[in-house]
Amino acid sequence: MEEELEQKYKSITRSVAAIDSQSKVSGALKYITDMRIENMLFASVVRSTYAHARIISIDTREAEKISGVKAILTYKDIPGLNAYGAIVPDAPVLAYDRVRYYGEPVALVAADTEELAREAASLVKIEYDPLPVIRSIDESIASEAIALHDNGNIARHTIIKKGDTERAKREAYMTLDRIYRTPFQKHMFLEPEGGVAYIDESGIINVFAGGQSPYRDKLQIARSLNIPPEKIRTVNYPTGGAFGGKDDITVQIHLALLAYKTGKPVKLWFSREESGVAGYHRTGSEIHLITSVDKEGTLLSNEAQIYLDTGAYQSFGPTILDVSIETINGPYRIPNYIINANLVYTNNGFSSAFRGFGAPESNFAIESMINELASELHLDPIDMRLKNILMTGEEGPFGNTIRHGDGLREALMRAKNSKIWNSVIQNKKPWQRSGVGIAVAIKGVGFGTLPDYPTAAIEIATEGKVKIMFSNVDYGQGINTGNAQLVAEKMDIPLNQVEVRHADTKYSPDTGSSSASRSTFASGNALLLACSKALDRLKMEACFYFGVTSEKLEYKEGRFYYNDRSVGIYELAKSLKARGETLRFESTFEVPRYPAPVEGTLEVPHVVYMYGVLLSSAVLDELIGNIHINQAEFYADIGTVINPSIASGQIEGGIVQGLGYATTEDLKYDVNGKPINNNYTTYIVPSVRDVPDIYVEFIDSLEELGPYGAKGVGEISIIPVGASVAHAVYNASGKWIRDLPLLPWKVI
Amino acid sequence: MNYSQYVVHSPQNLNEALGILKEKASEIRLISGGTDVMVLIKDNIIKEKELLNLSFLNELRYIHEEGNTIKIGALITYKELEKSKVVNLNAPILVDASKTIGAAQIQNLGTLAGNLGNASPAGDSIPPLYVLNASVKLQSADSERVVPVSEFFLGPRKTKRAPNELITEIAIEKTKPGLYYFFKKLGLREANAISLVSVACIADLDQYKKVNSIKLALGAVAPTVMFAVKSEKLATDKQLDLNLVDEIARSVSEEISPITDIRGSAEYRRRAAYGLVYEGLYEVLMGTAKRVSGSFEGVY
Repeated sequence: MEEELEQKYKSITRSVAAIDSQSKVSGALKYITDMRIENMLFASVVRSTYAHARIISIDTREAEKISGVKAILTYKDIPGLNAYGAIVPDAPVLAYDRVRYYGEPVALVAADTEELAREAASLVKIEYDPLPVIRSIDESIASEAIALHDNGNIARHTIIKKGDTERAKREAYMTLDRIYRTPFQKHMFLEPEGGVAYIDESGIINVFAGGQSPYRDKLQIARSLNIPPEKIRTVNYPTGGAFGGKDDITVQIHLALLAYKTGKPVKLWFSREESGVAGYHRTGSEIHLITSVDKEGTLLSNEAQIYLDTGAYQSFGPTILDVSIETINGPYRIPNYIINANLVYTNNGFSSAFRGFGAPESNFAIESMINELASELHLDPIDMRLKNILMTGEEGPFGNTIRHGDGLREALMRAKNSKIWNSVIQNKKPWQRSGVGIAVAIKGVGFGTLPDYPTAAIEIATEGKVKIMFSNVDYGQGINTGNAQLVAEKMDIPLNQVEVRHADTKYSPDTGSSSASRSTFASGNALLLACSKALDRLKMEACFYFGVTSEKLEYKEGRFYYNDRSVGIYELAKSLKARGETLRFESTFEVPRYPAPVEGTLEVPHVVYMYGVLLSSAVLDELIGNIHINQAEFYADIGTVINPSIASGQIEGGIVQGLGYATTEDLKYDVNGKPINNNYTTYIVPSVRDVPDIYVEFIDSLEELGPYGAKGVGEISIIPVGASVAHAVYNASGKWIRDLPLLPWKVI
Repeated sequence: MNYSQYVVHSPQNLNEALGILKEKASEIRLISGGTDVMVLIKDNIIKEKELLNLSFLNELRYIHEEGNTIKIGALITYKELEKSKVVNLNAPILVDASKTIGAAQIQNLGTLAGNLGNASPAGDSIPPLYVLNASVKLQSADSERVVPVSEFFLGPRKTKRAPNELITEIAIEKTKPGLYYFFKKLGLREANAISLVSVACIADLDQYKKVNSIKLALGAVAPTVMFAVKSEKLATDKQLDLNLVDEIARSVSEEISPITDIRGSAEYRRRAAYGLVYEGLYEVLMGTAKRVSGSFEGVY
């Protein structure tokens, strides 16, 4: 099969090196936080030292006395809306009457040096009147709880039902009632949040910052500065890691505001600890499942009560809740369900997007439940899944039609036949116990039923390059390389003739955010349309050149052929240019979607889903309780694989990030709502020595709606890690652990 | 973090360093590899505004063999210990421990003397130094004294070093060829992990596995690294078998006095200490534990 693909395509389905890898490895690439501009000021953020308090007064007088301080800004200095948030703008740009999380920004300082900025920031006096700190979902929903917002403590509540769960439960052979919990997770990108801003000679505010969504950032900046968006340029490349934590606003509005107020270039860059305290994290979850089966393991009903802890504000919370709703039934045929979903405010920092976006939370619950049911019924957990997965053409749980259930079936079959699933592990020491676990993941690609019209452009440059422009940010996942491969394939030119114009609103049209595993699907499709447009136009020019009608022409390897004569695309571009015609071709792709969301949701369901099956092998030390995951196998249905080595790297990275989530990462807040572990010493992410042997296999699959059949890849592998590892630990220890992470003291 | 606010003294020899130390005493902070001090500076939690940079004192960069003793200069790094033939041959437990400290970057810069001076109860080189009967040489401009490592620590971050003194040398006893040893550490990841519990053990068993003598030192389970004295006594002159392994491990877990902190609870630390000691002694019993080689073979 691989050979066949090799012949079919010239540029895609090939493991070319990421196009920016050399500059990254050599250190030549300058990340945005490496930027220095002459005469730039340094900014420091004055942050709340209370997790919940009223602000009585803000006194900047002492700080203003420091020479070299160029600006101290408070909420009074915000010309426009003093709020931001990707879905609902409920987070103040600078707090005014109240703070709701430890580290919330209250004032901004810009000074000639970093030290002066910090010193001045430390002299801003804020008088607080402390309020009770809400530290958990339980405390938040308690009737006597203080309201964190005008709309109370439940930011969003919805109920979605199908069938009759009560009846199903009565008729069921077995019903299990379980509560599953997952912790917050920090993104821990190597480059913390940061950037620079300056005003150029034409009065445009240029904001260079690590980010994932240049156009949304631009709108949010414009809204707070009360200036037209066209007066703002945002640039996001190169960003040193994001994982969702830079999808919403981090430093952008603060930077723009400081540049706007001082007229000078400004730099703002979080320290690791500042990122730990004030940066976003994944929602914490508490999910109560009551799930029923018949004697053969056929799923009959699923009652889910989902609580997600969004922290102080919503950011993407409402849509994260939607993804958790969409994935709580897994990829299974469940005729009766009721989902009661709640997004809850607390003073536990600030939750936002994180790789998987609500799916890892739900997946841990439903996949653990499936494993528990299989165990109770003495069924092979893969057989039980094979019995219940939705197949191609079937109606999904939300009225959608399943497009590629066969890919998941194939992935499960390969897992079932794998060596680690079928081998008996010999423990080397008497205190070692081993087990293999399984979990299946499903994740929609893109924004579901929300309107999504990604636009991208290509330019045929007369110097012999095809330049491609889109706003998806390459923050390490390789979208620039993947898109270059797609365009090289479509234009039938060598990859080195494709040049990527990085995510920059000055040049790149709005392709939407780099999130939801959508970049390849969204910008890839838009770019292919733009390529077709360019080829159509160039073909007409070739007709003109040869003096023949278009059906006489053939296109191959960047040239149009008429019998034995030919002309190249760059020559044609020259003649077009000589007449003053445009060489830039822009297209918008209409992302296929269902016309309306399922009632009670914002974006459920999706049309295109990725699937994955994760087997993990754990060795448990039963005297000490520590777990070592020594092997992992991932079977992925992600459609056509544009670049196998980059896609495999994404899957391996997701598994390792998931292993941290599953075993050691445990963000904690103290009684006052202050985060305890805010750096690499105390917040334990896996080291390279903790990485297991990972085997990745791609199922041959083709999604007709995707660019050359591709779906997406970024999120799928992190999703099943928690449940797979918990299952492996159960098989090793006989103990179900229903709250992540699987720290050693929970295991013994 | 404002590095420019520190006055850095960089003496070129020991006499000069001791002279500065005599004058500044507690107003100056010692720094060599910087793997602890730089973190404190970054977090702005050291009170001294002056630093005594020991990096140029090359006269303290040595590993000498003197009879049954190995003398290690204060500037010797973990990586140098790992590479030293003398140490590999005669005190391999120190090599094993050094390899678990931080990761390669820390091992390249961090020094054994620094680990002692920093006096963290979780310092991973310290339990091995206990079982190696190490002593610490403290020098000032006017005096010189030697303190056994087991008496050197007064509490977390507190030692017997006077403000005008410098650790100049650590002396360890060679371990006899054939003795069993193990260093075990429990952290939450495989590298760059701070120990929840660590154990160092050197055991002298006769050919019938009777315990002639045993040294057991534990880290991160008390205000300072400690010898498990009662457990050592319990084991001595007894026939090692599975029951005794269990008994010793249980005794250790009762003898320690761990606290609950961000990394783990006291209760769990006791269980983990039991596990680490049990596993180490089990391997000794089965003959699969490492033994001091006493020859150059197998070292490189």
